[in-house]
Amino acid sequence: MRHSLRGSASLVLTVLVINLVALTVLPPSAAAATAATPPAAGDVGPTYAIRNCRIVPVAGPAIEKGAIIVRDGLIESLGPVEKTNIPDDAEIVEAEGLVAYPGLISAFSNLFLEQPARAAAGPGAPSEAPTQARTQEPEEDRFPPGPGLFVLDQLKPKKPTVESFHKAGFTTVLTAPARGIFEGQSVLLNLNGEPLRPMVIRNGAALHINFTTERGGYPSSLMGTIAHIRQSFMDAGYYADRQAQYAKGPAGLKRTEYDPRLEALVPFVRDRKPVVFQCNNVEDVKRALKIIAEFKLNAMLAGANEAWRAADVLKKSPVPLLVALDFRPPASSLYATQGEEARKKAEAEIYPANAANLAKEGIGFALVSGSNGDGAAFLKAVRAAIKAGLAEEDALKALTVQPARYLGVDKSLGTIEAGKIANIVLVKGGIFDDKAQVARVFVDGVLFKYAEVSK
Amino acid sequence: MTKKAFLAAVLIVLMAPFASAQASGGATDKTVAITNARIIPVVGAEIAKGTIVIRNGLIAAVGADVAVPAGAEVFDAAGLTAYPGMIDGYSSLGLVEISGVAATADGRETGRINPQVRSLEAIRYDSMHIPIARSNGITAAVVAPSGGVIAGVSCLLRLDGWTNREMAVKPAVAMHIELPGLRAGRGGFGGGRGAAPTRVEAPALLAELKQLFAAARAYEKRRDAAAKNKLLALPGFDETSEALLPLIKGEMPAMISVHSERDIRAAIQFVREEGLKAVFYGVEQGFKAADELAKAGIPVIFGSLYDSPPVWEDGYDALYRNPGILAKAGVKIAFSSSSASVAKDLPYHAAKAAAFGLDKAEALRAVTINTARILGVDKTMGSLEQGKAANIVLADGDILELRANIKKVYIDGRETDLSNRYTELLEKFDKR
Amino acid sequence: MRNAALPRFAVFALIAAAGLLPVFADGGDILIKNATILTVTKGVIPKGDILVVDGIIKEIGGTIAAPPGVRVVDAAGRFVLPGIIDSHTHIALAGTNEGSEAITPEADVGTVVNADDTAILTALSGGVTMVHTMHGSANPIGGPNVVLKTKWGRPSEDLVVKEALPTLKFALGENVKQSGRTVQPGQTQRYPATRMGANAIIRREFAKARNYMAQWDRYDQAAKAKNPPRTLVPPRKDLRLEVLAEVLRGERVARVHSYQATETLEFMELAKEFGFKIQCFEHIWEGYKIADEMAAAGIGISVFADSWAYKMEAAEGIAGMAGYCHNRGVLVSINSDSGERIRRLFNDAAKTMKYGGLSEEEALKLVTINPAIQLGVDRIVGSLEAGKQGDIAIFSEHPMSAYTRCDMTIIEGDVYFDREALVKEREQAEAEAAKKAAAPRDKGGVS
Repeated sequence: MRHSLRGSASLVLTVLVINLVALTVLPPSAAAATAATPPAAGDVGPTYAIRNCRIVPVAGPAIEKGAIIVRDGLIESLGPVEKTNIPDDAEIVEAEGLVAYPGLISAFSNLFLEQPARAAAGPGAPSEAPTQARTQEPEEDRFPPGPGLFVLDQLKPKKPTVESFHKAGFTTVLTAPARGIFEGQSVLLNLNGEPLRPMVIRNGAALHINFTTERGGYPSSLMGTIAHIRQSFMDAGYYADRQAQYAKGPAGLKRTEYDPRLEALVPFVRDRKPVVFQCNNVEDVKRALKIIAEFKLNAMLAGANEAWRAADVLKKSPVPLLVALDFRPPASSLYATQGEEARKKAEAEIYPANAANLAKEGIGFALVSGSNGDGAAFLKAVRAAIKAGLAEEDALKALTVQPARYLGVDKSLGTIEAGKIANIVLVKGGIFDDKAQVARVFVDGVLFKYAEVSK
Repeated sequence: MTKKAFLAAVLIVLMAPFASAQASGGATDKTVAITNARIIPVVGAEIAKGTIVIRNGLIAAVGADVAVPAGAEVFDAAGLTAYPGMIDGYSSLGLVEISGVAATADGRETGRINPQVRSLEAIRYDSMHIPIARSNGITAAVVAPSGGVIAGVSCLLRLDGWTNREMAVKPAVAMHIELPGLRAGRGGFGGGRGAAPTRVEAPALLAELKQLFAAARAYEKRRDAAAKNKLLALPGFDETSEALLPLIKGEMPAMISVHSERDIRAAIQFVREEGLKAVFYGVEQGFKAADELAKAGIPVIFGSLYDSPPVWEDGYDALYRNPGILAKAGVKIAFSSSSASVAKDLPYHAAKAAAFGLDKAEALRAVTINTARILGVDKTMGSLEQGKAANIVLADGDILELRANIKKVYIDGRETDLSNRYTELLEKFDKR
Repeated sequence: MRNAALPRFAVFALIAAAGLLPVFADGGDILIKNATILTVTKGVIPKGDILVVDGIIKEIGGTIAAPPGVRVVDAAGRFVLPGIIDSHTHIALAGTNEGSEAITPEADVGTVVNADDTAILTALSGGVTMVHTMHGSANPIGGPNVVLKTKWGRPSEDLVVKEALPTLKFALGENVKQSGRTVQPGQTQRYPATRMGANAIIRREFAKARNYMAQWDRYDQAAKAKNPPRTLVPPRKDLRLEVLAEVLRGERVARVHSYQATETLEFMELAKEFGFKIQCFEHIWEGYKIADEMAAAGIGISVFADSWAYKMEAAEGIAGMAGYCHNRGVLVSINSDSGERIRRLFNDAAKTMKYGGLSEEEALKLVTINPAIQLGVDRIVGSLEAGKQGDIAIFSEHPMSAYTRCDMTIIEGDVYFDREALVKEREQAEAEAAKKAAAPRDKGGVS
């Protein structure tokens, strides 16, 4: 917990000492021009007054010339600059000519994941080759621990990745696991520096499931996978029921055998903890919706790059969509199997309009960076989606309030409002402009400097 | 006993009883007269009712007013139509028995350059597929080796005979060269299952062939020089060059498996530059280079029409309309079964093309006289004309039609046995 | 003759599939005039009309006045027949085998329907309007299959034919034994590796299923009691055994891939032992050896015309098989089992005239009413009768002629394949491409 220190000689001394410690303890790069001055343990960091910028709070109308006060990692206030009192302890951040946006949120990424991410928008149609592994009966422990795996344990933050995402306007990402059918549980991160632990907003944010197969084992086909997912949820429910029955009164009942996999699944099938299905094509969307309905899951669909083709079904059973901007037609799609010309045309003209089509149908979605590790490339894709008909306003919502709401953090993130976490980006130009440049990024109130502010 | 040996034994046991279906009846020097038949000679006008006289294995006479010679065995063919026996332009008859069992398949030699390989030498003359094809009116077939770049030399067989040599009409018909397919597995038998090896494109292959041909020419010159001058050292024996010389010297045509539009053009140029006699096989995108093919005077033998269009953009009916377009452009065309186990379906490929624009009469020619001309045997087969071999089919309808039943098949004047694996098994179990 | 432009029909289909254009202006109504109508069950009408309204055949024969707004197709000189039904195929699926284990009835192909498979277009071009698309033959017990209509461009849920009999795929013989496969070092061969093992494993699974059903019955009884014991524990719900239980209860029928006579007869014994129904044997190349047994047991067959001699168990397959079994009273359908052969099913059916002595009418049944009966949908499709669904194909010649071709395919009154329109589009595209190639390029002019 950060405490605020009162102005005094002791403060000056303390700050000096701490900065000295910071300079020796932190790696040299931390002191480079593009980095911030992250607070050392126990410290709270400077108070900032960002002034004379245009503010797009997303929560309300834009403020043409405004000021935002950031203190102790939170947004203390925002308003028109002339009505704002600049506190004495505030460091001024001159932001004339810049636009302040809420830090963008990618509700689905594979950031910092060492292993290669799954091929985006893959065919979802696994290899046919049957394997030799099985003898008479399937062995115990047939399945990998998947549901109980926390991706946080596998992450290795890299500075260039953080920078790349900061420069695209992102302050917050959900990093999801990327291997297997029950891939594991994701973590929601605020990109506030280098060490991993302070980044964590919520570990075990959601359980991730992908429509793929287990290489070299069961299930080796998509239909096997679907049966396996259903049977797993069924078994987890049964497991929970047996445990509850036992807990009520164990006398006369056989003790339930411990199963870590089922144990990990119970909260998702009984307590409505969120589940995310990776949907690689339009049929996956329908497949996921059926499973969600059967087990009454609290779920979202990720990937979904041809979700517009299932608009009717989605309108009947709405679920949050985490739309990755991968414009390649899935290999099974009719756009991909009728010649190279047709495929290229679909990639250039039809798939970029996915988000716009969803918006037209009134289907809610967030835009996510997916397996894309390059922030600039992702923004380029957003611009293409806008060109294909997505309103800029909707694009911005899909990167701020929508993902915040879907992830259950809308009370603390997603807009520039007093009391919320100080995740703010200052951009030269509109954030979706071709030539937009991110000048400053605040994450948890920590300042990162990028492009120079021309004065 | 090894697995292979056991398999071979099983096969011999299975095949043995049916070898007898190969037998032909009667001596060649009988005189036979087929009377009251409707006759479709293919060359010349249809004869509503006429007679065909067979003597010494040849057609002695055919016409409306032909007299029946004294002592001739007469067959009254009232209600039947007489056609020339059909000729399959490309098959694996006699080379492949059960395609999935490697021990029974001899169509594909290993390696890329095999001009020395001769299909005649591997023909299993009592293959169960031969009588089946014969009983549907096919009297001769090209049997081709496949695989690699130069697959070897094909032969032309009559579908009747006690040994492979007896069956040979032409022991060496063409040198087979294979250019890459439009997709993995196209071109040749069996198709490509599993990962395709790294693909070399046609221009590189043709360049390689040019070098091989140049080397063969040089080899021949050097060999001739040594023949004239005993003091010169004799060059070592070069199997590849020796085998290529008949092709290079124009004594034998090349049958080039070629598929894409671009490769067809490249192959036309190659044939011209090398001065080869050539026939093209496959030619799925031929309709895109029809005029060039016609101008170059290169005949085309189609692969099986029982396939999906290799290139989606060419349209669902690409393989079906291809023959009609080429024929209209003036290309000499012929059909093939490209099979052993469904070689009997030769006429239905022609009929399928007729459903998609090929003139019906041309369709019939493309399984008879056209094929004979392309293979250089039109003096002896391909039509019902005096002096040609008595390869005659009597059917109760149009032989390109599925509903027609073949009643008699004569090869070289002998009435052949129409029983085959199908009929023998059926008869056996019908007795239950 | 350059063919640069994409055939417009395909583009049309692409745009339509994007949901951006209404595709079916017909809305299930169509009037076909002046055709030779092959009803299949009620004889041949040498020249007549057929009217479909709201997807159902309203009237057949004679001259029918066109209701307002209904599309009229003049089929003079052509032949009209029921849409062809392929009783055994693997198209329109994202995967067909769960080969990692031998028994996988929980894997249901209905969950992996892929309406984007271009094989659907191929099927339409051959007059096929309905397919029974199935598991492959990797497993002794594969899983449930699904019956689809070839409604290209519609969402996948619209393709499923709900009226069809639920089926379960079984397989016997070489494919299941994996006899052609070499075992990799470090791996064991999958059981079963013999035909004996295949029978044993199927028997085991049905015994397990019977036991599972008994466990649930016992639980249900106890749970119904006035004061069920506190320690009453339900059995675990097992998707795999649930499907087998359906078969034992008669709610799902068996479709069994088999070739040899012995394995077929033995499977019939197994079915008797456990009391379940075999609807059809698939391929069954030695079926002519046991035709009477199958006819007596009321088991149908779904077979090729003449695709044989590709493996040992197909070495005694004869082209006369289908016709012979038909003549012995077996319900026979001809299938394709192939995304290419599916467009020549009518040619394959025609071969039974030559190799079985069937008439044209009987041969046509093998790909229309017979597969409809096998699939349990003969009340709604399989022949042209008033009241049945308007699944219709229009052919240029009699479908049993080698010279015929499919010109139009209609499902429930909507046109899904129109050769004339396709050819016109293609010719237009080629003409435009030729003009472009021939036009001289002016500097600054419009090219």
